[in-house]
Parts: sequence; C-alpha cells; structure tokens
Amino acid sequence: MTSELEQELKHLIIDTLELEDVTPEDIDPDEPLFVEGLGLDSIDALELGLALQKRYGIKLESDSDETRHHFRNLRTLAALVEERRTA
Amino acid sequence: MTNDAAHGPLLAARWRERDPARAVAWQTDAHSATPWRTLETFQADIGAWQAALDAHAESPCSWMLSTHDPYRFSCALIAAWERGDHVILPADTRPATLKALDALGAVRLGDISGGLTASDTPRAPRWGALEAERVAVTLYTSGSTGEPQRLDKRFDQLDAELAMHAELWPLDARLTLSQVSHQHIYGLLFSVLRPLCERAPFTAEMCRYPETLHLWLARWYAQTQREAVLISAPPTLERLPETLDWSEVDGVLARIHSSGAPLPRDAAEHAQRLLGTEVREVYGSSETGGIAWRIQSRDTGWTAFPGVEVRDDAEHQLWLRAPWLSTPATWTPQADRVVVEGTRFQLLGRSDRIAKVGGKRVSLTAFDRALGELPDVRRAHCVPLPGRDGRLGAIVELAPEAVPHDHDARRQLIQSLRTALAPRFENAVLPRYWRFVEAWPRDAQGKLGATCLSRLFADLDDPRAPRWLGETLDGPQSARLTLEVPERLAYVEGHFKTQPVVPGVVMVRWALHAARESLGLHGVCRDMARIKFPLLLLPGERVTLALDATHDRSREATHDKVHHHAHNNNAHDNAHNDAHKNDMTTRLRFTFTSRRGTHGTGTLTLTPRKGTRHA
Repeated sequence: MTSELEQELKHLIIDTLELEDVTPEDIDPDEPLFVEGLGLDSIDALELGLALQKRYGIKLESDSDETRHHFRNLRTLAALVEERRTA
Repeated sequence: MTNDAAHGPLLAARWRERDPARAVAWQTDAHSATPWRTLETFQADIGAWQAALDAHAESPCSWMLSTHDPYRFSCALIAAWERGDHVILPADTRPATLKALDALGAVRLGDISGGLTASDTPRAPRWGALEAERVAVTLYTSGSTGEPQRLDKRFDQLDAELAMHAELWPLDARLTLSQVSHQHIYGLLFSVLRPLCERAPFTAEMCRYPETLHLWLARWYAQTQREAVLISAPPTLERLPETLDWSEVDGVLARIHSSGAPLPRDAAEHAQRLLGTEVREVYGSSETGGIAWRIQSRDTGWTAFPGVEVRDDAEHQLWLRAPWLSTPATWTPQADRVVVEGTRFQLLGRSDRIAKVGGKRVSLTAFDRALGELPDVRRAHCVPLPGRDGRLGAIVELAPEAVPHDHDARRQLIQSLRTALAPRFENAVLPRYWRFVEAWPRDAQGKLGATCLSRLFADLDDPRAPRWLGETLDGPQSARLTLEVPERLAYVEGHFKTQPVVPGVVMVRWALHAARESLGLHGVCRDMARIKFPLLLLPGERVTLALDATHDRSREATHDKVHHHAHNNNAHDNAHNDAHKNDMTTRLRFTFTSRRGTHGTGTLTLTPRKGTRHA
C-alpha cells in the first residue's frame, strides 16, 4: 500500500525533476530511486534535496552516507520526512 | 555607364539600366495578358515601394522584410537599398521572431502582420548609392547548431560571390525557378540576386509544389523554347513524385541546384532520373556563403568554388579563405571535418559538438553515434535544453515497428535505450527528454533547425501543450500532425478520479492551435458541429491529428479574385502565407486517431478576427 505521504512524494519527485516519462504508478516504493529502478542521478539528488528543504524544512548533507540511506527508495524517503519534517 | 570592371554584378545595379522591355520576371499565371514583368514595370514597382517607405520613415533606417514571392521581395529590397536603408531578413515569420526584431527598431515590411506594402500609385524610382562597404542585408542562421546567429553581409561580399557564380554557371537568359526561401543566403543569391544581376528572368512567384513545377516548365517552354534553372533543396527533391509525366518537360531544365543540407545519394539519382539533368549541390553556410559544389552521380567529393582556398588541420577540421567572407584574407574554421586533396575535399561530418551537462563536458556527437548504432534506431540527435542544467533531449528516428504508442511502451523503450548507453556514459549525462519520430523533422531548408527543436520540446515549458513530434502538409489546407499526450499535462489531473484522460475541450483547443501554427488559420472559433469523443485519450498515448480546412468563398470573400497560395514544407513560413484566407469563413475538420481508434472528431467554424490587420 502506498501512503498519502508516499503519493505526495511521488508527485514531488516527478514535478521537481521534470520526469516526463514517469507517472506516480510507475514508482515502486521499494525500488531504488537512483541508478537502477527510477534511474535518478547525482544532479537529481541535489535537486531533490533542495525540494525537501523547501517543502518540509528538512536539511540534508549533500553527500553523506546518511543521505544516501534516506534516498534509497520511496519508503526510506517517506520515513525521513515523517521523522524530520518541520513544515 | 556601369562600372562592372571595378565591381561585380550587384554594385553595377543593372536594374537601373534604360532597357524598358527587358524581361525581369515571368508571370506564372496562364491568364495574364503578358507573360512578363518588364524592367519598366519593375522600376515603377520599386518606386511604388519607395513611396510607401518615404511616407513612413526617413532614411537611413532598418526594415525587416519578408515576402512569399521573389518578385515582391526584389522590389521591396531594392527600394530600401536605393534609399540607403538597411534590410533585415527574418528567418521565419513566427511572432516571437518578429517581436525580437521590433525590439531592434526595425520596421515591418512585406507579407508579415503589420507589414508596410507598396503604395498603389506607381512612381519613378530614386536611385541612391550602393557602397561596397555598406551592410546590404542582415541574415539569421537556421540555428541547427545552436541559437540563431545574426550575420551582416556587405555589398562587396554579395557582389564577389555573385560574380563567381555568374562566371561558373552563367544563366544565359534561362528562367530561374525557385523552390526555396529567399530569406536565407542560398535563396537570396540564387533565386533573386543572380537573375537580377545577370539580366535573366525569374518566376514572379515561388514554386511550391511538384505539380506547379511540371506545369510551369511546360508552359515556359511552350512560350519561349528556352531552358530553365531550378533552385531547390533536399526536402523538395526527395519528394518528387513518380506519378507526374516528367518526360513531357524533359530537356527544359538545364541545371538543378540543391543546398541547405547534403542530398542523399538516392535522392540525387531520383531527381536526375525524373528531371533529366544532374543536381549541382552547393555546400556552404550562412556565415561563409558558398564553399564548394559537387555532382554526386559523378563524384561524392566536393570541389571548392573558384577563389575559395581550403585546407584541413590535424583534427580534420576545415579551414577556408574566400573573397566573400567578412575578412577575406583570414583563414576561417568551419564546424565540418574534411579530408582535403588540392581544391577538392571529402566531407567527413560535423566536428564533435560539446555540451556541459550538470557541469560535465560531454560529446553530443558521441551520443548521436552511440544511439544511431542501436537496433531500430535510424538516426539520433541530442541537444542540451536550456534552463535544465543543460540536461539533454534526444530526437530519435525509429523503425516504424519500434515506435511507442502508449505510456508503457514509451517508458520501456526509454529504459532500454538508457540501459544500452549506460556502459559508455555516466548516468547523469544520459538524455532525459526523448522525442521519438517516424520521419526526421526538417524545416524548408532541409535542416533540423531552431524552429523544429523548439516545437519538439515546447511541452516542457507549456504544461497545456501536447508533445509535437512532426507533421506533414498535404497542400495548403490540410495537415497531419503527430502528437503525444504528455504525462504531466496540466489538464489530465482530476478530470475523472480514477483514470486520468485528456478532456474533449482540450482536443478542440489543440486542433485550433495546430490550425494556427500549421495552416496559418487565425480565425476565431464561432461554432462547433458533429463533435464526438468516442475513445478516451490517455497520458502517454501517441495520436495523429488530421486537419482539413475548406474556405467558404461566397459569404465573406470580398476580393475580386482569391489567390490560393500553395505552401512549402516549412509550417512556420505558412503562418502568414495567405492573408485572404483569413478574411473568409473557414470550416476546419479535425480528427484525433491512434492505433486504438478515433479519440475525437468534429467540425469547427472559424470566422475572421475583427480588427486584425493583414499585410
């Protein structure tokens, strides 16, 4: 099941990164977001970090192991937002 | 007396000569009382344009000139030149292009919205001074390799090149028939200035269809028993139909020229077989003018034009010097790679195009090549897209069976292409925006230029627009566009809760927009009839939009004679092509069809927009 937050994040990813060939249904919450799976890259990671900060007030160090963990898939990303959101 | 010895044929200004009966332009209309526009008429027409210009602005000033047909163009151009003015030739007549030139202070002239035209009263022309160093025209590059560039051409540059062509391929009173736009350097020189300077006639109108070409050649020969020269380009020569009986006009054409892009070998043979003479291709650019020529059926190599010096460097880049470059003594590099043997050379292709994606340097040429080698891919071209960290867009021509028709197929195809490229390129530089086409998109010059590129990616900046993937025009009133429904289309959200679809009213909106862009129909939609939306249109779906217009002459046509100008391949040149048809009521039939069936169909009634002035 996809939670409401996960649905919201799917839209955030698609809109922020201007992914034109991806619909929310195409994003599997357990599939990797980067490289395989959705195929996002390092530029996307930066963009996504900025979007999370703007929308939820979450600050991340751009290139830490911790960030990499949070960005693994949609579920880990949702867990991060759940835990740290200030907005 | 003219000063031909010191100058070439342009500065000699032969249109000023006292030779009233000389044929300047040939009237293509069978019903004209006389087949000619003579030098006497031409001079009076130049005077009439000058009267209009005089009433509007003091000289010197800048005009932006665009006309459909070579004769009107010549009159307006020379009228401005002889006043001492500067003329800008916009590459197309899209509103954005013209607005940018408005900002430079240029006044609109000719067949463009708000353009000045000749006064009704013929008047004696005033001759001024054409100085060798003065800028005669400002042209714009097609933008096939980046942003369109502004290029100033002085009279002495044009003069030097015209003199060379007159010597190499004299017209000798043959008729020049043009199938290309005179807004670009090749058409300007070959279709307009060469005949004017060589005292040879040209057709008053542009020849837009093979049927017209056939008809005009037959009529010309019957009237004069003289030969003709065809100024053409790859898109037109490639599409010459076998169905016309070309043997009827065999021998009328003495020469065919093609430029703008290399002519595929089989197209060269096709044209030679049907038209009965070899195609002399001209290689050059807006920056350099003509560089070299070839007849492919004899030799695939290029021969430098007389006066042009060529050499290559260690990277095989082409360098040249020519009397008609802005600095004739300086060796100037070209973006093409060559192997030079004396005055001849083989073209190897463009030099590597380099772009920066997210700060990383990538070779676009390497992407084009790598994609082009994949199965089902016929051709690919990658471009950096502005404002997206330089993210790449890829235009990919596919074998028909590989073309994706829905969201899932498109997504799978993109993933498999990215997977195939992954071993050779970093993930972050892979193309993100993909445009899959069945036919390579080209403008009238045969290039995938800035206009085509901006249409292909327009949906990225306009969330209400469909994705445009190409179009074909079947005559002036009928077009077929290939479109895709963007997944992020603003309209698809929230129409039906469970299934995002394109609302019917959006299809109507798209049809109206396409009628404006592709058929130049600017009317207001007053009525809709027989509107049906049988099948839902889904995000990611590929559809063909067919448009067919019929003009109702009886109701609002106020002109004694309604001209129906035919159209060329470039949709944007058509946008303002026919002021008359916008004065009439038009019925526009539209149909959206996909592989699954018909998604929308209906007939719209368009009436003239009140208060719009057409030149």
